[in-house]
Amino acid sequence: MDEQSRIRVDSFCMIYEVKPDFIHTLQESGMVNIIHVLDDEFISVNDIEQLEKFMRLHRDLDINVGGIQAIDYLLHKIKDLQEEIRGLRNRLNIYE
Amino acid sequence: MAYIDYYNILGVAKQATQEDIKTAYRKLARRMHPDLNPDDKDAHRKFQQINEANEVLSDAEKRKKYDQYGEHWQHADDIEKNRARQQQHGTQGFGGEMHEGEFSEFFESLFGQTSRGRQRSGNVKYRGQDYNAELLLSLRQAYTTHQQTITVNGKNLRITIPAGVDNGQTIRLKGHGGPGVNGGPGGDLYITFGIENDPVFRRDGNDLYTLVDLDLYTAVLGGELLLDTFSGKIKLKVNPETQSGTKIRLKAKGFPLYKQEGSFGDLFVTYQVRIPTGLTEQQKELFAQLSRL
Repeated sequence: MDEQSRIRVDSFCMIYEVKPDFIHTLQESGMVNIIHVLDDEFISVNDIEQLEKFMRLHRDLDINVGGIQAIDYLLHKIKDLQEEIRGLRNRLNIYE
Repeated sequence: MAYIDYYNILGVAKQATQEDIKTAYRKLARRMHPDLNPDDKDAHRKFQQINEANEVLSDAEKRKKYDQYGEHWQHADDIEKNRARQQQHGTQGFGGEMHEGEFSEFFESLFGQTSRGRQRSGNVKYRGQDYNAELLLSLRQAYTTHQQTITVNGKNLRITIPAGVDNGQTIRLKGHGGPGVNGGPGGDLYITFGIENDPVFRRDGNDLYTLVDLDLYTAVLGGELLLDTFSGKIKLKVNPETQSGTKIRLKAKGFPLYKQEGSFGDLFVTYQVRIPTGLTEQQKELFAQLSRL
């Protein structure tokens, strides 16, 4: 992974004004992947969008990491179900 | 521009304490937060209203001004100016910054564009707002990869639509949403496709279904016929003594698989044998002869 596709955890925390503990707790919960290069910790830029969402839930709604994990799981489940409904609706249209 | 009742939005009384307001805001925000309602525009709009109401009512200065002018907000500036003139100093702003477009005209009018937010301080970079758009395609259009120009928030955008998109499918165009805050990246544009029903072909996943009329003579004696498909004409060989309702499968002549170039579903053709009408006397006689054989 090159320099362009990752950001140092401490830089990320400074830019977003978030405590490193929050990122580490997310990592412990398996919600974000921290990449270790020598003594430095990095986050993939592909994970930033997801991390921003977690931070919004944390800041705006005062939800802890456990709650965010549950919400994330349920949102994925909703998305899968919506996809299934969409497919079924399209099939149903054939017979209407 | 109409007066906005922030107390009503949060469902609290005018005498509500800061604790009441905080509790009401949290309760409503947890229901309407855009991250919890990703495709719900109504929830997004309500969340903005809740946010704005909280922005005003949770700030003692803003709440005071709001309570003071209330429904007479249109004259607030004049009253403030007069007061400032009398007191020989100007009115005070509220400082801070927040996302563009997150506040109503009413809010901007009463508090000014520079009086935004407190919770997002400093130069924190945030992604821009995500935009949602809908695009209606015919089944034929969805069959081929093609380009279309769409207008999103007044800007023309030329997009490539991959062959095989499904009805209700949403694609994301990274960075084509609202501009970022404090130099943050742009939001994304989500386009949801609606695929119109086709009068000839029905689609089920990647398979296509169609009905083909077969005249009695071809059905009995066999023959060939040409079928118009989205990819051109196909010659079909009809076996002798083909029954009405016979279904044949044409492999890989169906709909293209989304983002899997060269892969197609199947095309199912169902024959409908048409009995001739308006027979001449001679034809009737021949059928009669046939029936006696």
